[in-house]
Amino acid sequence: MRIARRSFLIGTGAALVAPRLGFAGVGTLIDSPALAAKVTAGELPPLAERLPKSPRLIEVAAMGRAPGRHGGTMRMLMGDQRDIRMMTIYGYTRLVVYDDKLELAPDVLESFEVERGRVFTLRLRAGHRWSDGHPLTAEDFRYWWEDVANNKRLSPGGPPQAMLISGQPCRFEVLDEVTLRYTWAEPNPVFLPAVAGAQPLYIAMPAHYLKQFHPRYASKEELEQKIKTARVKDWGSLHERFSRQYRPENPDLPTLDPWRNTTSIPAERFTFVRNPYFHRIDENGRQLPYVDEVTLTIGSSALIPAKTAAGDADLQARYLRFEDYTFLKGASKRMNFEVKLWKRAEGASFALMPNLNAIDPIWRDLNRDVRYRRALSLAINRRDINRVIYFGLAKESGNTALPESPLYDAALAQLTMTPDLAEANRLLDEIGLSKRDGEKIRLFPDGRRLEFTIETAGASTEETDILDLIKQDFIAIGIKIHPRSSQLDVFRRRILAGQTIMSGWTGMDNALVAAEMEPDALAPTSPAQFNWPRWGQYFESGGREGEAPTIQEAKELVELYRGWRHSTTHEERREIWQTMLKINAEQLFTIGVVNATLQPVVIAKALRNVPDNGLYSFEPGAFFGRYMPDTFWFEGK
Amino acid sequence: MLKYIFKRILVMIPTLFVTSVLIFTVINLPEGDYFETMVAEMQAQGEKADMSRVEFLKKEYGFDKPPAERYFWWVTGLLRGDMGYSFEYQLPVRDIVGDRLLLTMIVSFFTIIFTWIVAFPIGIYSATHQYSWGDYGLTFIGMLGLAIPHFLLALIFLYFANIWFGTSIGGLVDPQYLNQPMSWAKFKSVLEHLWIPVIIIGAGGTAGMIRKLRANLLDELQKQYYVTARAKGLPPGKALRKYPLRMALNFFISDIGDILPSVVSGAEIVAIVLSLQTTGPLLIRALQSQDMYLAGSFLMFLSFLTVIGVLISDIALAILDPRIRLQGTATK
Repeated sequence: MRIARRSFLIGTGAALVAPRLGFAGVGTLIDSPALAAKVTAGELPPLAERLPKSPRLIEVAAMGRAPGRHGGTMRMLMGDQRDIRMMTIYGYTRLVVYDDKLELAPDVLESFEVERGRVFTLRLRAGHRWSDGHPLTAEDFRYWWEDVANNKRLSPGGPPQAMLISGQPCRFEVLDEVTLRYTWAEPNPVFLPAVAGAQPLYIAMPAHYLKQFHPRYASKEELEQKIKTARVKDWGSLHERFSRQYRPENPDLPTLDPWRNTTSIPAERFTFVRNPYFHRIDENGRQLPYVDEVTLTIGSSALIPAKTAAGDADLQARYLRFEDYTFLKGASKRMNFEVKLWKRAEGASFALMPNLNAIDPIWRDLNRDVRYRRALSLAINRRDINRVIYFGLAKESGNTALPESPLYDAALAQLTMTPDLAEANRLLDEIGLSKRDGEKIRLFPDGRRLEFTIETAGASTEETDILDLIKQDFIAIGIKIHPRSSQLDVFRRRILAGQTIMSGWTGMDNALVAAEMEPDALAPTSPAQFNWPRWGQYFESGGREGEAPTIQEAKELVELYRGWRHSTTHEERREIWQTMLKINAEQLFTIGVVNATLQPVVIAKALRNVPDNGLYSFEPGAFFGRYMPDTFWFEGK
Repeated sequence: MLKYIFKRILVMIPTLFVTSVLIFTVINLPEGDYFETMVAEMQAQGEKADMSRVEFLKKEYGFDKPPAERYFWWVTGLLRGDMGYSFEYQLPVRDIVGDRLLLTMIVSFFTIIFTWIVAFPIGIYSATHQYSWGDYGLTFIGMLGLAIPHFLLALIFLYFANIWFGTSIGGLVDPQYLNQPMSWAKFKSVLEHLWIPVIIIGAGGTAGMIRKLRANLLDELQKQYYVTARAKGLPPGKALRKYPLRMALNFFISDIGDILPSVVSGAEIVAIVLSLQTTGPLLIRALQSQDMYLAGSFLMFLSFLTVIGVLISDIALAILDPRIRLQGTATK
């Protein structure tokens, strides 16, 4: 059976179109003036020789934006040196990427083909080069697979999970210099999404550069010298240190991203300059990115709203919260920037997470009773919360897919979301909690009060404000809660240990889901899921730690998830997703309160092409990444 | 005297040993380690942490070994001048601290000078003009500096410095000078930013110093020898400088012990609020994320400076004031 899925058809289709439009379609190529001196001096080949034979054509006007011109420095603020990985995320250059319809499309790749969900043939663009001018070839993929992923020292746990199906690795073949094939015995639906992720799986590394750190290629003396200079333990640490692609701390490491880092650590300000070999051009033949330079200034995250208001950033959303909006808006009148509100894409900006693995048996059994969870959900007056905290701008919804997602189901999003105190009280009575004390608080059969603490990580006052409102709602059905904020580490450990009965946290990180994405957030798969941490731990550790799920629905979710991991067709995956979303909405394993809350985005007035309305999410949007910051440009600069 | 100094130096060794054990224990007390903190932070943002990778890193940095063994490696490393490795920055601790030390010293140096310049005249004036309007007024201002939380002052200063003078918010230089070698333009930019932290950090210290100087001086001013000197016609300024002021300075010398570590660590909270690139925020961040070698080695460095500082002030005191006994014996 040969199945070419819709998304992949579009992917390959686009790639077939690109070369035709390639050079012939766009006429002359336009290089950035910033590089002109170098080209004239002969330090850099002319643009036509730097671009792949078939560059990726980005039709900026067709995206409803204005084609731009080169130049300028885009300033951003970050709170931590590790945040330089944001450039890898914002740059969003991957072998394959999610396009605006959330379908997978080739980016660095010229095209790809998938047969029976298990044979992946990837074709590179001929003449594509790393940022240092060295060609990107199949050798870079071979190097990663053979000398990194399958090297005992560099990957003691073996190749990454996405490269294994039922524990079996793929067969890797180099068909020719630009064609590769990965073959698994069974379908591997995780492979391409992993490569396209905001935090991607890198399956290619600049071999020509990294070989100097690898004992298979470098001479012993040279290696020892390098180990000494870098003051690391052995060649493994050396290779690890200089090969980080996600966090581009090594300015010498060649990259495929639009901008490359030029500053070594430690530093307070990182300068990223344009990658002269970047493979995208606009319809006028201008090489992207438009902006020549991006700077990241590192400071304390608490000061970033103030610094942004002082006009220190050209594009900023990280470390800005909705509560900063009025302040920023006020400052924008004096300064040269505008503040837009984007929508956040979590399944729930705030959700209650009943801990189904709480140690206390009474609370655990109660949390596991779906009638109790429904009663809680029916008691929450989401409309008031939305109005009081978010000026009515958020959406009252369960923790599920957003309307922008192809898997959105309005009925599921509204299931048990409308307040109904009578029904909530009836459910609680039915459970057997009908006795109340003098304060009208319900009592367990053993006389304990239905009174507990809801913990939050204490990241913002927003959470405690919401809980204060919920507290009133719960009193009305005879439940007393005490909101308590702590610190992220403590919070997480208490939950995993089962000491927390209920917590407040964000829902699904990614609610812009599509059938091709992994539905791991909907089943107990990770100890970071605060509603069933020990079940998640059980799954993640392969049964070595944690506990096996005991609730029928949770078991079913695990089975569905496993089914997805082995699925072959788009339809099959879609069906699994829908079933999982349905079970989650009906069972209310997480009780969503509001979603689609707003994220302030500060944009310099001169900066063009940043959408007024966007979706702000890490996965799959890569924050700004999906809107291609390489197409942003400065007017009049 | 030499024997005394030698003894004092010998005592420092067990002190530092106990300190190192304490530091190591306290840093290891919270459950988990840096890697778990890192995983938690990554997950909070939606990123996935590769658990096998975390296991690998833990092994790489010896977290599978018992604490005693790790302590041993850390301490022997310190003796060899190796301050260990920072997980967060993925660099040797020395490389990280080095950069920030100079700026910290600049800030602290100016702060100390500021404190002295302000506190001495005020302290002397308030003591010699006790209960006058000037005494009350100046002491009141000093007290304000002590009473207002530093971080609050810092925020207010930041806001107005930006609105009125256009000083960029946070940091010690304008962003364009970051990562640049020191130049005249950069130095000017540092001076432009420096006065905010100096005044804020200095405010509290100034008040304390005024109070101490005033109280000590008042004690001396009532003593017989001063009264006699004045009665015999010695001009008030000279009489003051020659005797009571000197006697009142003991506290100042013993404070030197604290100055050394504070020169290096800077005022942590203010530095965080003002986003200064000094060592303070580095240390706090390291403690938060359990970046243990960075935090531990830095704390150890500070304890070392404290011990040295106390030694210096002890010696200085002994020289300044012969009444202080070198040997703690023979008191009946």
